Amino acid sequence: MSQNTMQVMHARDMQKTSGRQKISKALSLAGVYLFLLIMAAIVLFPFYWMIISSLKSLAEYRLSPPTFWPTQVLISNYADAFTTASLGVLFKNTMIVGVVSTLLSLVITIFTAFAFARLEFKGKELLFAALLATMMIPGELFTITNFATVTNLGWRNTYTVLIVPFLVSVFYIYLLRQNFLQIPNELYLAAKVDGTSDMKYLWKVMVPLALPTLISITILKMMGAWNSYIWPRLVANDEAHRLITNGLRNAFTDTTGDVNYPVQMAAVALVSAPLFLVFVFLRKYIMSGVSRSGIKG
Amino acid sequence: MVESKQQWKAWLYLAPAIVLLLVFTVWPIINTVAMAFMEDYSGLANIGGEASFRFGIGNFTKVAQNAEFQQALTNTILLCLITVPVSTVLALLIAVALNAIKPLQKALQTIFFLPYVTNSIAIGMVFAAMFNVIGSVGTRRPLISSYGIVNDIIRFFGGNWVNWINSGSDYWANMFVLIVYIVWNALPFKILILLGGLTSINKQYYEAAKVDSTPRWRVLTKITVPLLSPMLAYVVITGFIGGFKEYTSIVGIFGESMGPVHDAHRLNTMVGLIYDSLASNNQGRASAAALILFGIILVVTLINLWVSKKRVHY
Amino acid sequence: MKKIVSMLLLLVMLLSVCSFASAEAAPAYDGSDVTITFYHTMGANLVSVLDAYIEEFNKLYPNIHVQYTAVGSYDDVRDQVSTEITVGTQPNIAYCYPDHVALYNLAKAVQTLDKYIDSDAEITRADGTTEILGLTAEQKADFIEGYYNEGLQFGDGKMYTMPLSKSTEVLYYNKTFFDANNIPVPTTWDELEQVCAKIVEIDPMSIPLGYDSEANWFITMTEQLQTPYTSATEPHFLFNTEENRAFVKQFREWYQEGYLTTQKLYGAYTSGLFTSTSDIKSYMSIGSSAGATYQRPAKGDDGNYPFEVGIATIPQANPDNRKVISQGPSLCIFKKANEQEVIASWLFVKFLTTNVDFQAEFSMASGYVPVIKSVTGNEVYADFLAKADGGDYVSALSAKVCLEQQDAYYTSPAFNGSSTARDEAAALLPACLTVPDGTDVDAEIEKLFQTAIDKCNYSL
Repeated sequence: MSQNTMQVMHARDMQKTSGRQKISKALSLAGVYLFLLIMAAIVLFPFYWMIISSLKSLAEYRLSPPTFWPTQVLISNYADAFTTASLGVLFKNTMIVGVVSTLLSLVITIFTAFAFARLEFKGKELLFAALLATMMIPGELFTITNFATVTNLGWRNTYTVLIVPFLVSVFYIYLLRQNFLQIPNELYLAAKVDGTSDMKYLWKVMVPLALPTLISITILKMMGAWNSYIWPRLVANDEAHRLITNGLRNAFTDTTGDVNYPVQMAAVALVSAPLFLVFVFLRKYIMSGVSRSGIKG
Repeated sequence: MVESKQQWKAWLYLAPAIVLLLVFTVWPIINTVAMAFMEDYSGLANIGGEASFRFGIGNFTKVAQNAEFQQALTNTILLCLITVPVSTVLALLIAVALNAIKPLQKALQTIFFLPYVTNSIAIGMVFAAMFNVIGSVGTRRPLISSYGIVNDIIRFFGGNWVNWINSGSDYWANMFVLIVYIVWNALPFKILILLGGLTSINKQYYEAAKVDSTPRWRVLTKITVPLLSPMLAYVVITGFIGGFKEYTSIVGIFGESMGPVHDAHRLNTMVGLIYDSLASNNQGRASAAALILFGIILVVTLINLWVSKKRVHY
Repeated sequence: MKKIVSMLLLLVMLLSVCSFASAEAAPAYDGSDVTITFYHTMGANLVSVLDAYIEEFNKLYPNIHVQYTAVGSYDDVRDQVSTEITVGTQPNIAYCYPDHVALYNLAKAVQTLDKYIDSDAEITRADGTTEILGLTAEQKADFIEGYYNEGLQFGDGKMYTMPLSKSTEVLYYNKTFFDANNIPVPTTWDELEQVCAKIVEIDPMSIPLGYDSEANWFITMTEQLQTPYTSATEPHFLFNTEENRAFVKQFREWYQEGYLTTQKLYGAYTSGLFTSTSDIKSYMSIGSSAGATYQRPAKGDDGNYPFEVGIATIPQANPDNRKVISQGPSLCIFKKANEQEVIASWLFVKFLTTNVDFQAEFSMASGYVPVIKSVTGNEVYADFLAKADGGDYVSALSAKVCLEQQDAYYTSPAFNGSSTARDEAAALLPACLTVPDGTDVDAEIEKLFQTAIDKCNYSL
C-alpha cells in the first residue's frame, strides 16, 4: 500500500466516523483509564504502607488495629538506618558490583542469546533445553556447593565472589533469544551477502534493535545486585566488601536481634530511592521503541 | 567447511556462559543428585565423620510417603495453573492499555514499574495486613478490633466480611489471598517484558487496523497477541517455572507455619517441603524433593515448549 | 626381681594415668598472639558496650585480638555458621540458641567446655595479676542456676554453652485497672480463670489476657505440670500425652469463652492489644521481659501514661514448682586446630559472662537481665533497679521481677529437631484452641497432637 492511497483512505475514514462511534471511542478510552487507575491504586498501596510504616515508632507499628497515618512522624528511623552503616563504603561497593556485574552479564547474555538465535551448531536444541532445565532446580540447594567452590578458589571476601558466580542468567539469555528471534532473518542474510561479520552485525544491528529488552535486563540485574542479601552475607560480609542491603540490615535488628520493622522499612525505602530514580530515567528508553529502524514485519 | 567454521564460532560465543554454568550451576546440580541418593545425607553430619550414608532411593520414598506431600503438590499445581494465566492476561491488558493512552502515560508507567524497587519483606507484610481480621474470630464471644482494609471495602459496599486468612478460614479464601498476592508480585516483571515487546512491534500494523476501524479487542487478539507471542511464550514458560517454586509468598502471608492458625501446613508447597528438610540439615531428602519437583517442572515446560512451537510467530 | 617388675608395672600404670589425665586437662594460655572471631547479632548500642569491654579485656590479654561481625538475626548467625562449618571456616565464638548448637553438633564442631571450666591452671595477666583458667567455685555459684544449666541440655551431661544475657516471660497487667477494681494479681492458672471471669463482667468488650508466644506457653505448661515434652535422647518427641491434651482442652474452653488469646489467634501483637486505646483491649499480657517498653501505653496529650503497668511472675500450675522459661543468647566456642585459639576464646567468653560491670552495662543497654547474681551489687545497676516503676522505668521493673524469680528458670532439651518441636508446639496449641464447639473436641485435639508428632518425626 503506497503512502498516498493510505492517506486518501484515512481521510475518507475520518469523514465517515459518526458521532456514535466517537462516543463509544471515548467510553472505551475512559474504560482503559479506569482500569489502569484501579490497577495503579492496587500497585501503589503497599508502597504507601511501606512509607507510613517507616515513619512509625515500633510501638505504634505493633498497635492493633494499625494506624493509617503515623500519629507521630518519626524521621529519626531514617537517621537510625543511616547511622549504623558507613554508607559511603556500602554505596561504593554496591555500585562497583552492580555496574561490573551488569556489564559483564549483558555481554555474556548477548553472545549466548545470539548463538542460540542465529548460529547453527550441533546439539543446539538439546543444549538450550538443558539450559532451561537448570532453572528448574530450586537454587537454595546450590548454596553449599558454591560456598565450598568459592572458598577453595580463595574468593571469599573479594569483589569477584560477588560478581562472577551469578553472571550467567538463563532467564535473561532466554528473554534475549526470544527478542533476537523476532528480528527477521532476511536482515541477517542480507548482511551476510554484504560481507558483514557476525560480530559487527550483532553489535550494529541486533543489539540496537533489542534495546528495550536489554534495558529491562539491565534493570533486573541492577535490582538483583542492589537487593541481593543471602549470598553476599555468606561470602563477603567484611567491612571492605559489604553491600548496601547487608549494611542496612544490621540497622534493622535492635539491641538483641529482634527486628525493628519501622527502621527496616526506612532502610528499604532508602535503598530503593536511587533505583527509583534510575527507573524514571530509563523509562524513556524502554518506551521510545525501535520502530524507527528499518524492520519490516 | 563453512558449516564447521560456524560450529566452532558458535561454541566460542557460548564459551563464557558454559564455563560459568559448569562451575556454578552444573557442579551443584551433580552434587544435588549425588546427595539425593545418599539416604538422610547431612552436610554437617558428614563433617562430623561418624555417619556413613547408605546409597539408595530412601530419600525419594520418604518424601513421597510424607503425609503432606500430596497436599503440597496439589497446592503448588493449583497456584501455578491459576496465577500464571491470570497474571499474564492482566499484564498484557495493562501493557496494551499503557501503550494506547497519551495523558498520564508517563506517570502510570512509572507507577507500574515501582514494585521493582520495593522489597518482598515489605510487600508480604502489607498484604497480610490488608486481609487480616484482628480479634477473637469464631469464639463464643467474638470481638473484632479490625476487619482489615479489604473487608472494610466489602462492608462499605454492603457485603459481608470474609474470614480470609484467620482461624477457621476456608481453603479457597486462603487461596484467593495467595493468588492476589502472587499475581501482584508477578505483574511488574511481565508488564516490563511485554511493554518492551510492544515497542518493537511495527506501528504500521496498527495504522492499518485504524484505517479499517477494527474493534479494539480484535486488534488485541488478531494483531497484538500474535506479534507479541515470543514474549508471551517467555513470560508463560518462566512463569510456570517460577510458579512451581512458590514458597516465599506463602511465608509472607501465613508465616513459617504455611497455613491458617487452625490448620498449619495446609498451604505448604513443594519448595516448602525442601525447606523443611534443609532446616534439620537433611540435604539428602531436600535434594530428593528438589529432583521430584524438577521432574514435574520439566514435563510442564516440555508441554509449554511444544505448544509455543506451534503458536509462536517469530 | 618380681618386686622390681611389679614396681615398674605400677610406675607404667601411674604414668599412663598421669598422661591420660593431662590429656583431659586443658593447658593454660601461653600468651601467644592469636586472633579470635566472634559472630553476634548486636545492634549499634550494644556494639559500643562490647567495644569498651574488649578494650578492658585487652588490658589483661593484649595478645588476644577479638574480631567481631554483626551477622544479622539469630537465624542468620545459625545459617552462616552451619554453612561455614562445612568448609571449616567457622568463627571461634558465636551467639547461639540451644537448637543452633544441636545443629552444629551434627558436625561435632562445638567445643565442650568442661575441661576449661574445671581447669585450675594459673595464668599471669598483663597487669601482673593472676587468675585460674577455669571458673572458681565462687564464680560458678554466682551464675543463676537455670541459665547456667542451659549449657548442659544436650543429653550427654557436658557443658556446651555459656549464658551471656537472658530474658524470660513475665505477666504485665494494667495496675490502674486492677487497683481500681480491687482485683488480685493471679499467681496460679486457677486464679487466672477467676480474674478473667471478673474482668469480662466489668468490661464485656475486653479479652482479659493476651499471651504472646504459643510455643512458650505450651512448653512452659509441660514444665509447670512436669509432663513430657521432648527428650535429648530418643525417642525425642514425647508431648502427645493425656495430661498435655487435658491442659490444652482447658485453655480451649477459656479461649472459646473469650478469656484469652494469643498473637496468632488474635492476628496481631498482643502487646498492641494490651496498650490499645480502643474499646477492645486486654488487661493482662504475657510477653518477653525484654520487651517491657512495648507493653507500656503511649503517653497521652497531658504527658501522662493512660495507665500504670504492673509486672509479676506468670501464673503457675503448682506454686511449689514455679517454672518460667529462660531465653536469650548464649555463647558457644568452636573447635580449632590451634588449641591456643580455643583457650583464648574461652578466656574471652569467661570474661564477658563473669565480668560484673560488663553484665550490668550490657543488661541496661539491651533490656535483658544479667546472668550472674552479683550484678545486683553493682552500684550503677542497683541504681537502675531502684528506679523501677510502671511508667518511665518499666524495663527496670521487668528486670527486678526477673531477678526475684531466679529459682524458677528452666530450659528445654536441645537436639537436632528441637526447633521443629518448638515450631510444632507453636502451631499445635492455637490449632487446638480453635476447635469449634459442637465437634468431638477430644478427638479433634488428639488428631492435632498426632499430626504434630508425625511432622516432628518426619523432620529427622
